[in-house]
Parts: sequence; structure tokens; C-alpha cells
Amino acid sequence: MEPAIQVQGLRKEFRLRTKQPGLKASIRGLLRPEYRTVEAVRSISFQIEPGEVLAFIGPNGAGKSTTIKLITGILYPDAGTIRVLGLDPHRSRKALAYRIGTVFGQKSQLWFHLPPADSFQLLGSIYDMSRKQTQTRVGFLSEVFEIGDLMDQPVRKLSLGQRIRCEMAASLIHSPQILFLDEPSIGLDVVVKQRIRDLIGRINREEGVTIFLTSHDAGDIEKICRRAMVINHGSIVWDGSVKELKYSLLNRRIVDVKMDGPATIEMPGVTVVKRKEYALKLDVDLSIATTESVITALMRQSAIQDITISSAPMEEVISHIYARGKGDT
Amino acid sequence: MSEPTRQRTNLLRLALHYFRFNLSAGMAYSTSFLIQVFGMALNNGAFIIFWLVLFDRIGAEIAGYGFTDVMFLWALAASGFGLSVVVFGNTHQLSRIIYTGELDVYLLQPRPVLLNVLLSRTVVSGWGDLLYGLSLFVITQPMSLTGWLLFLLFTILMALVVTAVRVFYHCLTFFLGNAEGFAQLAGELVISFMLYPGSIFRGPAAWLLHSLIPAAFVAYIPARIFASFDPGTLLIVLAADAVIVAAAFLMFRLGLRRYESGNLIGSRM
Repeated sequence: MEPAIQVQGLRKEFRLRTKQPGLKASIRGLLRPEYRTVEAVRSISFQIEPGEVLAFIGPNGAGKSTTIKLITGILYPDAGTIRVLGLDPHRSRKALAYRIGTVFGQKSQLWFHLPPADSFQLLGSIYDMSRKQTQTRVGFLSEVFEIGDLMDQPVRKLSLGQRIRCEMAASLIHSPQILFLDEPSIGLDVVVKQRIRDLIGRINREEGVTIFLTSHDAGDIEKICRRAMVINHGSIVWDGSVKELKYSLLNRRIVDVKMDGPATIEMPGVTVVKRKEYALKLDVDLSIATTESVITALMRQSAIQDITISSAPMEEVISHIYARGKGDT
Repeated sequence: MSEPTRQRTNLLRLALHYFRFNLSAGMAYSTSFLIQVFGMALNNGAFIIFWLVLFDRIGAEIAGYGFTDVMFLWALAASGFGLSVVVFGNTHQLSRIIYTGELDVYLLQPRPVLLNVLLSRTVVSGWGDLLYGLSLFVITQPMSLTGWLLFLLFTILMALVVTAVRVFYHCLTFFLGNAEGFAQLAGELVISFMLYPGSIFRGPAAWLLHSLIPAAFVAYIPARIFASFDPGTLLIVLAADAVIVAAAFLMFRLGLRRYESGNLIGSRM
């Protein structure tokens, strides 16, 4: 089967004008402008199969949005090849637009002063759909996204969560095969975030839509995505399953243990995070100690009633990646 | 239906859809809609008094233009500009759309980008200009079928050229960062210059009005054709206007390769 997205040696540079602070520097900059080149994407290559749900993560300014914009045909690459559903996004921009959908958390495709129903009708017309086709599709999407009650309210009166649900419905109006979501849960509360995640999962399962998601939210990545790709300083620094990301990238385990009697542990690489009577929460650095040696040391002191070994929370994995990124600079 | 014909039909359908859509969006605030439309007509009307007084003081003609000729320029300017902003209402926002990265939304839709951007918004007060221009033509010009046809043709050409000139200068934003002020100025210059008798401009000013600020091709020469029809001159106007429109498209196409997008938070108003 043809890959949904195929990227080879993709590179993009931006030329930025630099200016020192102050009026003098402003005048100098006017006469003799200075520029510096920023390499936003540094020769990246990857492939995404149809139906995959991919998390594309990285700190601010890592190159996530630039990569999405290159893949969707918004930006022209400096080098490299891109094939989306077998099409070159720049040579076949219009043909590709019928087959992909996008949700930019920061940009709206709905008209602010008009109800979503009007925007949906217009979008149907933009995608060459007949009035009947649009109505059928809008009926289906309003049921999935539970936006039936919002259809006649001006967008400016909707809450952020309601608006994002409408934005997602708008991006799916033409039944795209790939959905690009650039930080869809930005600014949403926990309940709404969970709802949006469920909806993304449902669209992937029921319509087979390939999902390409960028987010800073650990929950989005952990709960929706099976594969993760980490980009930093324009290069892909990790590509694998979300499970592996959690287990390998952060070489730590959290051990929650309930003992029969008093126990303590002093071992290099092991930190006691919490202690309550005979219960201990330990943070084990696997590059120094092993979970086996920790358990053995505890068992020598007392019997173990219950034990849970888990990897570090996704939030920590992500902040570790970002912190590592800062360290590199 | 062949593919190019199908595409043209679909584009026309979309243009009509945008037109209806924008009209209903404008009427969402009905009082504001009426104030803008009639306010603009009233504002334009005030200038007739100025010209009446001027001709009364100076005499029957200014550089070969009588009161009726000047009113033709005014009628054409108002209706052409009105049509331009009613149909291509997003033109004055083009620089902002480029430098805030809002162009992304249009690039992701299966439509010609520039037309999609320009058609997607209307300027409500443009209806006031359009109504005023048509009324002024009816009131001040002799009625004839040829006269009406020519006036409608020149109104459409003027709308296309004014839009193209503004697009051309707004596209400098792709290369310079933000050319919004410059583009607004260029658009206003075309309109301002075409409201005065063309024959008062000589030398470099006349050259400017045939090139960078092409008021001659949308006002002075059409006024001459309207006064005395000449098919050859009409062909020259059509050719010149086609070149101006093509230049705007070319400029946008070149600029698009330089487009850098952006991540500003925005809504479609």
C-alpha cells in the first residue's frame, strides 16, 4: 500500500532580519540591514502509513509547524522531496487539498460573526460538494461532534471547546484521508481535552483517517497516538512507539512498594520520593541501579505485600526531551 | 464538460456563494449595514456641491472637462471602487493576511489562492459607493444603451484594475515584510487622481498615471471613449488593463514562493 506521507531529505531555511535595540541601531538597520539564516528543518526523512496515528512533538521553535506547513504545501522546501498520498504538495496543491484536512489550534477557518452552519455550507462549496452532499456530511459530523445545538449560534459566542469541535468538523467536511492537527487542545480544560481526544480516536477508527498530531500535551500523545516522532533543532531525534518513548528515553522507573514491616533503602541511583508507614515510593535511575537490586534489598528487610513498577509520567518524558534540547544549545 | 470549463463554472459558483455569504454576513448587523451604505452615499454626495461651486466660479470648463465630464469620472470612480470592494473585499487586508500567516487557510483549500482570498470578504460601505456611482451616472449623463453598456464595462474594468493595483503593491509584503501602508497609499492615489480631469496632468505626472498609478487606463481614456466612441482606443484600454491584472497575478505567484507563514492567533472576520 502507498504510504500516506513520505518525506526524504526535507530542508527549510528562513532568513531573519536582525536588529540591535535602540534608535541608533534602527537607523543603521534601515540603511544596512543585517540578516541571519535559521535552519528550521534540517534534512529530515520519515514515512507514515495509512491509518497511523502519529504524535509529532518537540519544544517551541523545534520545527514542528514548519514541517506540517511543508507537508501540506503551505511552504516551499529548500531541498528534499515530499509525497502525500502519492502527490507532490506544491505541484498538486489543489488535488491534495481535496484529500487532506487541517486544524490549526491558533487559526480559524470559521467565520467569526456567522453561525457554523453557514461556514459549513460555504466550505462544502469550496470543496465542490453539492448542497445535498454537504447537508448529509454536516448531519453526520454534527452527530459525531455533538454540535447540533451550536449550528445556529455565531462563532463569536461559542466557548473555545465548542469552537474547536466545530473547527474539527469543518476540517472533515470533505472526508479527508489525512488529518493534520496542530495543537488542537491548546487552552482547553481537562474534560474538553478528553472529549477531543475521544473524537480524534473515533475518526481514526471509523473513517480510517491518518492522524498527524502536534501537541505539547502529554495526555494527547499518550492517549491518542501509537507512534511518536520527536523533533528538536530541526532534526528528528526520536522515532518509535509511544510506549518505547516512555520506557527508553527516560531511563527511570517509579517503584511503589508496600512492605509488611519497616524498611529503608540507601543505594546509589535510588531516591525515596515518599514514605508513609510501611509504604515507599522510589525513583530508580536505571543507568546506576536496577529494579531487581532494589527489590532484593527491600526483601532482605521485610516481606513485600504489594509492588507496582511504572515508567515516568509522560509529562516528565517530554520535559526531559525539552530540557535536553536546551542543554544542546 | 471539459476540465477547464468545469473549473471555471465551479469558480463562478464559488464567487456567487461568497457574494451571497458576505452579503448575509454584512446584514448580520442590519443597522450598521444601512448606516455604512447610506453614510458612504451621503459622503460622496457632498463632493458634488464642491464641484458645482468650483465650476460656477471658474467657468464652463477646466482643461477641456465640463461639469458632466467630471461627474462621469466621479460616477465611474465610485461605482468601480464600490464594485471592487464589494466583490474583492479582502484586497485591503492582503498585506495583513500575508504577514500574519493567515494565508495558510487559503493555501489549504482547493481553489486559486488569490481569488479565494479576495472573494472571501466584502466591504459593506462599498454598496454605498456602488449605488451612488450608478445614481450619479443616471442623474448627470445622457441616457443611451451604448452609454450604459460602456459605463458598465468601464465599471467592471475599473474594479478589476483597482483591485489588481492594490494586490500588486500588497504583494511587496512577501518581499519587504510589510507593505500595507504603501499599498493603501497606491490604491488611494489611483482613486484620487482619477477624480480630476486627466488633461491637467503633464510630463512625468502623466507618465506616472499611465504606469505605476494607472488612472489613465481606468478613467481618462474611458471618459474619452464615452464622449466619442473609438473601437481602437477601447482595444488599447482592454489590453492595458489585461496587462495590469496579469502583473498582479504574476507578482502574487512570485511572492508565494517567498511566503513564510506565521503562528499568530487569528479568526476569520
